[in-house]
Amino acid sequence: MATVSLRHINKKYDNGFEAIHDLNLEIPDGELVVLVGPSGCGKSTSLRMVAGLESISGGDLYIGDTRVNDLEPAERDIAMVFQNYALYPHMSVFDNMAYGLKNRGVPRDQIKQKVDRAAATLEISHLLPNKPKQLSGGQRQRVAMGRAIVRNPKVFLFDEPLSNLDAKLRVQMRIEIKRLQQEFGTTSIYVTHDQVEAMTLADRLVVMNNGRVEQMGPPLELYERPETQFVASFLGSPGMNFMSARVDANCLHLPGGHQLEMGQAIDLTKLQQQELVLGLRPEHLEACEMPDADFVLQVEMVEPLGADTLLYGRLPGNEDLMVAEQSGKIRYERGTKVPLRVDRSSIHLFDKDSQRRIV
Amino acid sequence: MHDTVVFKNKILPYFLLAPQLIITLVFFIWPAGQALYQSFLIEDAFGFSREFVWFENFVYLFQDPEYWNSMKVTFLFSAMVAVTAMGVALLLAAMADRVLKGAGTYKTLLIWPYAVAPVVAAVLWWLMFNPSIGILPYWMKFVGHYWNHYVNAGEAMTVVVIASAWKQISYNFIFFLAGMQAIPKSLIEAAAIDGASPFKRFWQIVFPLLSPTAFFLLVVNVVYAFFETFGVIHATTLGGPDNATRTLVYKVYEDGFVGLDLGSSAAQSVILMILVIALTVIQFRYVERKVQY
Repeated sequence: MATVSLRHINKKYDNGFEAIHDLNLEIPDGELVVLVGPSGCGKSTSLRMVAGLESISGGDLYIGDTRVNDLEPAERDIAMVFQNYALYPHMSVFDNMAYGLKNRGVPRDQIKQKVDRAAATLEISHLLPNKPKQLSGGQRQRVAMGRAIVRNPKVFLFDEPLSNLDAKLRVQMRIEIKRLQQEFGTTSIYVTHDQVEAMTLADRLVVMNNGRVEQMGPPLELYERPETQFVASFLGSPGMNFMSARVDANCLHLPGGHQLEMGQAIDLTKLQQQELVLGLRPEHLEACEMPDADFVLQVEMVEPLGADTLLYGRLPGNEDLMVAEQSGKIRYERGTKVPLRVDRSSIHLFDKDSQRRIV
Repeated sequence: MHDTVVFKNKILPYFLLAPQLIITLVFFIWPAGQALYQSFLIEDAFGFSREFVWFENFVYLFQDPEYWNSMKVTFLFSAMVAVTAMGVALLLAAMADRVLKGAGTYKTLLIWPYAVAPVVAAVLWWLMFNPSIGILPYWMKFVGHYWNHYVNAGEAMTVVVIASAWKQISYNFIFFLAGMQAIPKSLIEAAAIDGASPFKRFWQIVFPLLSPTAFFLLVVNVVYAFFETFGVIHATTLGGPDNATRTLVYKVYEDGFVGLDLGSSAAQSVILMILVIALTVIQFRYVERKVQY
């Protein structure tokens, strides 16, 4: 059990490329932090620096009270689950799980006891004599998890551990990981590019972009109050709709001559004549009767998902594709005009230049 | 569904295979058949008379201590060539795998010796080891050793092993390096996190994963040492001193082309043929199935 703190961490490669700029992150004991972002944002590099697989160019990394910048991976008391599982193909499942303990000189009978217990937790006891080649993807994933928990390390590190699994198994393992992490109460850092995985697993979410932290906080807080346009666009599926808007009185003027009166919910008077970016989540665009409508969506494509229906289309005179999510199974034909109403309390406004949140 | 391509035309496949088949027949099957036939004959040195003697040549060979000595020399020589060539290649590959800057140049330089013909390689080593004019014996004199592989059997063997192994190192190196680079980096990283020292990581993770490559190379190296080192031996020691470096292949040459005992020479070739078939079978049986894991 330990806290992890990253203080002013920098990563600069020999070729001058700066992968991480001034990363600060305090992870309290037992918390699961998810680093999420597009590929190349520096999330994996950050994780590998914590693991000791990548050198740290600047700043301090603490696990517990120890500064571990210059310690070997083995001395940091961490365990890592890799994307490709990284199981030793020539060793049995038992030996795979026991390898770390053997190297640390744990007595043989204790190794057996620990491996058996971990295997039982993960329901892979019957697989212990098998070689990794004989296992399915999900089973390999469990063995990789087993190898991590058997040592009872201070920190778990997960590097996109579910990316190689099919969709159904991914959901199952996601729940499993959450359950295990809570059961063991081990501080964890989890890296993924999948925002659904990030949202569901995280105690705290860190959204990264271009080697910088865009925003961190509880997942729902980030979802409901994204500080930047990047975070707003990255979280949520289908993604948020954006369109440029100009303020006039307490009203937003959208391209194509559409207007959005704010009413009492939001006061725009301080932003007169400013150019902004309006962000609307698909689920906050609700089909309604014509008199209540803010605008009319010309439907181009319908995606029935069962529980929900997605409407893709454009507003007349506006080039931007727009998505609206309606709950339930509603039959819409291509080309129908659907009147939509905007939930005023959940609109997002960003500055056009800095892309930072205004409202 | 067939998992192989099926041609409708019955003749075309044979036509397309014909060039390869003709070459195989003319240059492999026919001479092999000739050797087999000749091994049952005793012929006088001038070719005036020949007598069909069944297995007499073979019986005579197996009773000849000279032949058994040659057999012993060959196995010893092959083992030493394989171990030296593979050991050095593995070491070089392990180092090349870590090189970051100038890796291309380094690899190219290591691969070059493979392009050198065996005889040229042998001449190179012959010059370096020459007791009168060689640079290595000259240096050895300073530490009080008088090198002469024309007299000393052990030294003669050392020369042929070094000259033969040197050429094979490049080949082994390429395979070992390719094998190492095929091992996912995350495996090594996982082992590092699991607390394995670099030494343990190599012997417990990398090496077992290279074992199929190593086994393949072992067979290839043994075949090389058996059959392709004639040039090296001919250019350096001529099988001497006192037949200390006369391998089976060299004895085939000596008995056949120098001694003109064609029957015995053919019989020896047939035995070598059986050995190479055995090695090939081993290779196909085990290498194709991948050893270890």
